[in-house]
Parts: sequence; structure tokens; C-alpha cells
Amino acid sequence: MTGVLFGRRALFLAGLVRTARPADRSGDTSARARNEAVDVLGQRTLLQRAIPGLMHAFIFYGFIVLFPTILMAMIAAVDLHATLPWLGRQGWYMALVDVFVILVLVGVGTAAVTRAVVRPRRFEGSHRGEAYLILGLIALVVLTLLCWHASLVAAGLNEWPASASFLSKALSNVFPSGDAAERVFVWAHLCTVFAFLVYLPYSKHLHIGVAAANVWFGRTRARGRLEPLRFDLPDDQLRFGAATVADLTWKQVLDGFSCTECGRCQDACPANATGKLLSPKLLIMGIRDQVFARSDAPLAGNGVPEEMIWDCVTCGACVEACPVSIEHVDHIVDLRRQLVMVDSRFPAEAEPMLRDVERSANPWGKPQTERAAWAEQLGVRVLEPGDPAPEILYWVGCAASFDERARASAESTAKLLQAAGVDFAILGPREACTGDPARRMGNEYVFQGYAEQNVATLNGAGVTKIVASCPHCFNTLANEYPDFGGRYEVVHHTELLAELVRDGRLEPAKDATQITYHDSCYLARHNDVRSAPRELVAAVGEPVEMKRHGRKTFCCGAGGAHMWMEERGRPINVERAREAAETGAGTLAVACPFCTVMLDDGVREAGAELRVADVSTLLAESLESRRSGGH
Amino acid sequence: MSSVLLYVEPGDELSLQALTLARGLGDVRAVSLGGAYQPAAWAAALADAAQGADAIVAAGSDRGNELLAHVAARLDQPFAANVTAIDGDVVTRVRWGGSLLEDARLHGSPRILSVAPHTQPAADPVQVETLTAPDDGSPRVLERVEEGTGGVSLRDAKVVVSGGRGVGSAEGFAIIEELAGLLGGAVGCSRVVTSAGWRPHTDQVGQTGTKISADLYVACGISGATQHIAGAKGAKKILAINNDPEAPILASADYAVIGDLHEIVPAISAELRKARGT
Amino acid sequence: MKILVCVKRVPITGGKIVLTDDEQEIRTLHLGFAISPHEECAVEEAVRIVEAGGGETVVLTLGPAEAEEQLRDCMAIGADRGILIKTDGTEWDPQATAAAIVDAVRGDGGFDLILFGNESADAGNYQVGIRVAAALGLPVVTGLKRIEPGESRVRCERDAGGARDVYEASLPAVLTVLEGLNLPRYPSVPGRLRAKSKPLAVVEPARPPSKLEKLRLVLPAGQGKQAEILGEGPAAAPRVVEVMQQLGVA
Repeated sequence: MTGVLFGRRALFLAGLVRTARPADRSGDTSARARNEAVDVLGQRTLLQRAIPGLMHAFIFYGFIVLFPTILMAMIAAVDLHATLPWLGRQGWYMALVDVFVILVLVGVGTAAVTRAVVRPRRFEGSHRGEAYLILGLIALVVLTLLCWHASLVAAGLNEWPASASFLSKALSNVFPSGDAAERVFVWAHLCTVFAFLVYLPYSKHLHIGVAAANVWFGRTRARGRLEPLRFDLPDDQLRFGAATVADLTWKQVLDGFSCTECGRCQDACPANATGKLLSPKLLIMGIRDQVFARSDAPLAGNGVPEEMIWDCVTCGACVEACPVSIEHVDHIVDLRRQLVMVDSRFPAEAEPMLRDVERSANPWGKPQTERAAWAEQLGVRVLEPGDPAPEILYWVGCAASFDERARASAESTAKLLQAAGVDFAILGPREACTGDPARRMGNEYVFQGYAEQNVATLNGAGVTKIVASCPHCFNTLANEYPDFGGRYEVVHHTELLAELVRDGRLEPAKDATQITYHDSCYLARHNDVRSAPRELVAAVGEPVEMKRHGRKTFCCGAGGAHMWMEERGRPINVERAREAAETGAGTLAVACPFCTVMLDDGVREAGAELRVADVSTLLAESLESRRSGGH
Repeated sequence: MSSVLLYVEPGDELSLQALTLARGLGDVRAVSLGGAYQPAAWAAALADAAQGADAIVAAGSDRGNELLAHVAARLDQPFAANVTAIDGDVVTRVRWGGSLLEDARLHGSPRILSVAPHTQPAADPVQVETLTAPDDGSPRVLERVEEGTGGVSLRDAKVVVSGGRGVGSAEGFAIIEELAGLLGGAVGCSRVVTSAGWRPHTDQVGQTGTKISADLYVACGISGATQHIAGAKGAKKILAINNDPEAPILASADYAVIGDLHEIVPAISAELRKARGT
Repeated sequence: MKILVCVKRVPITGGKIVLTDDEQEIRTLHLGFAISPHEECAVEEAVRIVEAGGGETVVLTLGPAEAEEQLRDCMAIGADRGILIKTDGTEWDPQATAAAIVDAVRGDGGFDLILFGNESADAGNYQVGIRVAAALGLPVVTGLKRIEPGESRVRCERDAGGARDVYEASLPAVLTVLEGLNLPRYPSVPGRLRAKSKPLAVVEPARPPSKLEKLRLVLPAGQGKQAEILGEGPAAAPRVVEVMQQLGVA
């Protein structure tokens, strides 16, 4: 009967996954296998929080170790004297069982205390009642197992040397000798297990079945890449994002099933940390509930409050923190795509940006004819149609071209490349917006228009290597343009400059200035560029790290097109500026034009005494001071 | 001697500016029309009155342009709107709200032209003949509905303090409103601001918004697209407050302060209060 | 209701205008194109009227082949079909433009409303709508901020200082509108995809001689005015107030 109930529900869930929209998660088998080993078997992400990690590890390994005992119980229920061949007689195994019974109980106890007494914020919104029920069932499973073993020993029916299973043996002294106790507990154990099994696929404990699969199918590379949509399909096959649950891909459905409501994503989310409505956990739970209900209502507004969808800065901290490889950013962008491309329902203040990107080829709405104005005095080569391709193309980006604060990094980078004798050129007016802000906003259609245009320009110019000073441009050029026929070797300007310093083509002078470096989300998290900028900082001053750095970096607040959207709650950039100020450093080094502007504003608003400067500017100044004889 | 028919809007300074240019063309007969505004009918009366005239002139106001367009359509002659200068049959007229000029030849008689606002000095008022236009059934003003918006009208304000993209949000306009209030002026904004939903279209200064004629226009965080400058040109003096020393608006401004408007605008308000001892 | 909206493709110039060497046109290399904000509102209004009461919105433009882009944009927000009066890219004067539009209207026939922007963003001649109305013998009201079409008449409002002047015209009528009439919608992608296959009729009439003949374009003197920098940051405030006092506004 258990089989029937469990099976029916399992088939229902499998059906939901199978009938969902397609997603391509094939290939990269070795990377996937490695993720399984490290994250599932090795529990790496979970162990980043020591106590909860250990607690889960105990229960998880306990489940694996104790699994054969379920089979043994089922066999013994039928034939009292039978057990699993060989394993059922191994003393060392039963000793292990006893050890893990203790560990599981410790784990369950810890978990219960955490939820009942400590009550960390990440559980806000999670179903506590369900959690206690599951913990209770787990405890009951191992306790009935223990009692069964103890009663076996008491009745002398144990097939293994009793002395090995120390705990069962100790407990057996409490049990009367005789078969009755054994029968009671073997059935108690089995009933608990079967009840749990039936309950499992209706609860968030479902994750034990699907999490491993979700980890297998997680992104193995190009984490910053979003899945493109196709607009050249017949009407009935067009998908404009996630309107209802019917539009979700099977990976997205699996994401929902894998969620354990642990809240690590919620803790990592900068929007959540600054008082916005967004909780990545509640978002996934909301979508999951709509999937279970097979609802045909729009997801935005039912299950997911619309405000949450716009709070996101696409920093990826949630994805990084998730132990079961849920990809929250994909869900959010798909929800945005529907709202922007079909419903035309999005924050009004972002409309000028979308119109400007589309009509003027940059989100500032400034004329492209002025795109290379910053470079005029510097003698930078502008690549005209028909010119021979440079060794490396410097993709300046809209921000550095048009924003007065971001311009400094372009000027510095150009001067540095010239000083190092690098053969480079810029596209000038032919460089259109990569389309990143439109894509992150959800307007995939406008994005693709620019992807195709830029790829045609780059391919037509024979460009093979690109250096970009904006992490968003960098991410799009490196990870997303290959989907549109653009395959180039793309480096971030910090990577190129670090290489030039290493090779001795640039010789900075180091001084005692304390510099703290802010990792851009699109560099450090989405693209693993963390060491190159640090090399540069260490070459010019004394580095001091913020607590949230590297893969754990805290967003500046401009991502997800938030550079052009209003922010509710406390500003993310001020929060980060405060964190930088707390290091005591006098300089806040950045490697992104958006971080430059946001953190400069943040520092001002926080009233801190910090100079915000791009790493390239610091490097250029260091070269200048060496040239002019300073230290 | 050439004769010029000049349409005059009573009490309108722009008509007096048009008079200056009209005088350069010949003997001016200044006329206006009474009764409810009925463009097609009024134009018919003007066309009749223009028999024998070498030129028909009016101010390049909404009404002036509309009337002369009707007259030109009626007479099937070319009409040059917003002219800054005329030499024989060659006019120089305004394009892009003032950011570009065009030299064009009028192949027609009489020469029909309206005078671009604020490009001529105002002449002294003259005797104006009032014509009557019989109702010809064309659309006319039926009633005037008061809007009751209160506050200083953007079009008439002596001072306009205006915010652009640099203000950053609807709430950011609080400092703009504060300064405008202290100066007894109106709040304006650029087109980006209305598109973003931070201010209503009625606050928009620009080619497709309101064209102001203030004594001082303070442009805060406005980059200065031609579309916007077209609306601000009528101001006597322009002060730009901008972070970017390369912003196009500085090429049209008389004064500038470089820096963050969120710091500068409140500082100006504070300084004003100090100067007034409040 | 059958509504015709006339639009014009204009470059998005930004802060500085640069002329071609022959001084005949604005240099438009690398510039984006759009229609004037007045016209965007006109198209939006027409689409709304047809959504509410049925009918058809037709968009028309006189311009080069590239102007099809602007017609498709209008179709993306709901116009049903387009008419392109194709030119070789050189400008037509207002009388010639109006005549060509009148021919197209007569060829299509039966429009209840013909909408224009009050003036085009570039040439700003303020007269095409009025000339078209005169040629067709239709009533025309200009500079409108609100239009309410009825069965046989349309009530419209125009700004007058702080008030609104109310007009009425019998249908069919020509109306010219101003930005502020409504808030144009953002085009949806399904709308854009549908627009690709909506009907577009192309005619290519010969260009009549120009009665308002463009001789050359000239950049006004005083472009590149040098603003007097009063200071940097909040420290400039006292100097600013001084200037305001000198101007008599403080």
C-alpha cells in the first residue's frame, strides 16, 4: 500500500517534471560528477556553516549507512530468523549503525533546538511545523530501529555478535527477553518508515529524492549566462518567459522540488538584507506551491509577489549559497521576461532606459556619435570599417563612454595599454550596448537585436580577442555572445593589466595606502575573476579585505538593471560602503563602472571618508608617481 | 511701398516682437480679431484683409502659427513658421526648437511668415484694427474650463528650477521643489523624468513640453539634449548644475556649478535662507 | 472608427547637431531614429479609440524606405496597417507633403479621424495637418491635450494658460495633438512579431517642386557658449546666490 501511495505521488511529480518545457543540461559529465562528489557526497556548501552543516551531514550519512537496516527489517518482518546476507551478520556494521543512530539523534536534536530556540532569520517563512514533523519522524525511525535491535539482542535473535553493537546491547538490558518486544519494534520501525515514505513526496523532504539530481543538472560553466529565447518559432511554440507554471522548464520545476526551505539564499540576498520584500527562498517556495497546485494563474502576483521580481539585482549570491543547486536568478529573469515582453508591466522609471537602449544603442540615451569623445585627447585608435583588426579590441562599454565618473577607468586603461605598448583599438560609435541591461530587465528581444548587431560588427572587423573594463560587458561578451555566433577570447581589464604587470611591461610602485577591494558580482561570482584584481591592488598598496569578499561578495546594488530602477528599503550601496569604511582603508578599489558610481554615491551618503577608484586608475596613478620620481 | 498685414494678439509681447520684423518689410497694418477664437474663420478674415499685401506676419506663438497656416492653406501659398530673419524672399527659420536654422526661399506671394519668439526686440505698441470674422461653422472655442492646479504656471514663471535624470527619483525632487519655492518659481523637468513617471507631463520643459520664458532657468542634473534646450531657450539666463563638465547643457548655459546636485541644491537653499535671515 | 495617423521619421540628435558637408542635412551616421513624442501620443490615442470602439488604425508616413521601421513600431503597439509614401530621402516641403497625404487619403477613403502631431520634431513647420484638412474640406483643431470622439462629433481640449479651451468638431475631422495627451504604451514582443507581417502599402509619387525651398541648414551662432563656472560643489552656493540677487530673482 505504501508502494502504491508513494508511487502515485512520485509518478505525479515525475510527470510535472517531464511535461515541463525543455532545458539543455547535457554534456560536461566530468564536471557534473565532480559537483555530485563535492556537493552531495562531500556536503561542501552545507558545511560552510559549521554547525548546521555537521547536523545535516550526520543525518545525511546516517541515512546512507542505515538504509540497509530498512531492508533487514522488511526481511525480518516476514521471517524472524532471516536478514540481509553477509551484511546482516557483520558486527562492525552494527557498531556503525549504533554510532549513526547517536549521530542522527544529535543532528535531529540540534536541528530542533536551532529552529525552536535559536530561530535564525533564514527560517522566516519556512514551514516550521513541517520541519518538526520530519525531524520527529527521523528521530522515530532511528529510535524504533535502535529498539528493534535492542529487542533482538534481548531475545537472543541477533545474527551479529551482540558485543559489537554496544548501544543496542546496553539498551537490551532494559528489554524483556522473549519475542514479543522484537515483533512490536520491527513493525513499529517499518510502519514509521512506510509512513515517512508516503509523507515524503508531499513534503519538502522530497529533496532527498531530487536534490542529487538537481545538483547533477546544475550549471557547470558560464554561470553568468542566461538561456536565450527563440523568437523565430511558430506562434504556438513561442515562449516569452514564465507566465504560468506551464512555462517553467523541467530544471525550474526540479528546483522547486529540491528546495528544503533552508533559507541560506535568503541570508545571502543583498535585497533581503536591506529590507526589500525579496526572499529567494520564498520565491522558489511560491513557485513550487503553484506547481503542486497545477495552477494556471499567472505566477507574478500569485505565489510570487510582483515586487519581489523587481527587487533582485541578479548578483547570484543565492545560487552560490544554495546546497542543492537551485538557480533562482533564472526564475526571476524568466518572470521578468513575461512581465516586460508580454505584459508591458514593469517599473516605469526603467522605461526610458529600455527605450534608449533600443533607439539610441545605449542606456544613457546619448548619441553614439559621442561615444569615443573620451578618447579623443588620448590618441586612441578608433577602428573604422575595413581597418585591419587590432591584436586586442578594447570594449569600453556604455558606462565608461558616457558617465563622467566611470570615464576615469577607460582613460586609465587606455593610458596603461599605451604605456605597455599593447596593440589595441576601440570601436567607437560602432560599439553598441551589449544589451546586458535590457536582458537583465527581461527584454530578451531587444538584447538579441544588439547581440546580433555587435557580433556582426566584431566578426566583420576580424576581432578575435577582446578586453572589457565592465564586468557586465565582459560576462555578456564571453558567456552569452557565443549563442549568437560570437566566439572571442575575452578578458577583463584587470586580468590583462595583471598579466602586463607580471610580465614587467607595466611597473607600478607600491606605497603604504590601505586599499580594500570590492569584488563585483559579475566578476567574482559569475565568472571566478578574483585574483587578478587583487594582484593589482597588492602591487600598488596595502590590501585589506572586507568580510564579505570573493565569492561571498556583497553586491553594490546596480545589477539586474537596478542602475536604472528605484530602490525601496535601505540602499544596498550604502550598506556596502559602510562595510568598506569599517575596514579602515582610505581607498575603495573597484573594477566595474557601475560599482564605481554606486559605491561613490554610497560612500557619500554613508558620510564615509573613502576614495572610490577603479583598479586601473590606481595602477595608472602608481605608474605616474614612479615616473615623476615619487618614492 | 510694400504693405504688411500683421496679426496682433492683444497684450502679447511676442506680437510686439513680430511687429519689429514686420516693420522691416514695409508699412504695417496691425489687426486683431474679436469674439471667440475660431481659427478657420479668423483666417478667412485675415486672408480677405491681406488682399494686396506683400507679406502677412504674426508671432510664432501657438495661435500665430495656427492662423497663418490656415491663411496659407486658404491662399495655397507657402508659409514659413518661426522666422528669425528675412531678406527678400529668403527667410532664416528655426528648426529643432532652435538648435538648428534653415535658410529657405519662399516661392509665393504674399510672403506668409511667423516670427520666432525672442529673436526680435519688442516694438512699442501701435494702433490695432479689430476685424470681425463671421462664424463659418468651423471649430471654435466653446468654453474655458479652469484646471485649478494652483501654484506658479511653468509658462509664466519668472524662475524655473528643473530636474533631470540626475535627480534620481521622484522623492529626489523634494530639494528641487524647496529651491523653487524659495525663489517663488515653478518646478520643471526633462522628458526622461516624465517618462520615468517621477513628474507629470505638465512639468516638462522642452520642445514637446512647455517652452518657458523665465528670467532664470536652473537646470539640475539635466544633460541638455536639443529637445530640452528648445524649451529652455526662452529663458534669459540659464544656470546648469551638473556632475559632468562635458555635459552639452553647458554649451547653452550662462552659468554652471560642477558637482553633485544633491549637495549643491540644498546648499543654495540654505544660503538663500541665510541671506534672508530666516 | 477608421483612423489615420501621420508620422515622420526623425533622427535622435542628442546634445549636438552636426551637418553634412553640403549643409543640406543633419549627419545621421550612428544616430537612432524615432517619431516625435507628439506623434507617439497620436498613435497611442488612435489605438486606444479603436480598442474601445472597434475600427481600424492606419499609420502613414512620407519618407525614405527606412521609415518602414517607424511604421512597424507603430504597428507593434496596435496600428493595423501602414502606408509608406516613399521618397528618395530628400525632404519635401509642407505643401508637397500635405498634397501627397491628401492623395493617399483619397485613395484609401473613409477616415473618421486623421491625426497628426502638432508639429514635426525637426522641421517644425506647424502646417501639414491644417493644409490636409483644408484640401479635404474637413474641420481641424490643433494643439490638443484631450480628445473624446463620439458618434458624429469629437470633443477636444487644448491648454490655455492654467485652463483648458474646449472645441467640438463634426466627424470626419483632422486633429493635431501634443505630447501629454496620454502615456504611450511600451510595445510588447508579441506585438512586434505580429507587426512584421501586418500589411504595408508603398506608393512612390514624384516630388513636386518646392514652394518653401530649403537652401541650406545653418548651425546657430552661440553654440559652444562658454558657461561661467561659478564654482564646484556646495561651496559654490554663496556665489550662486550673489548671481541670483544680481538677476533680481533672489
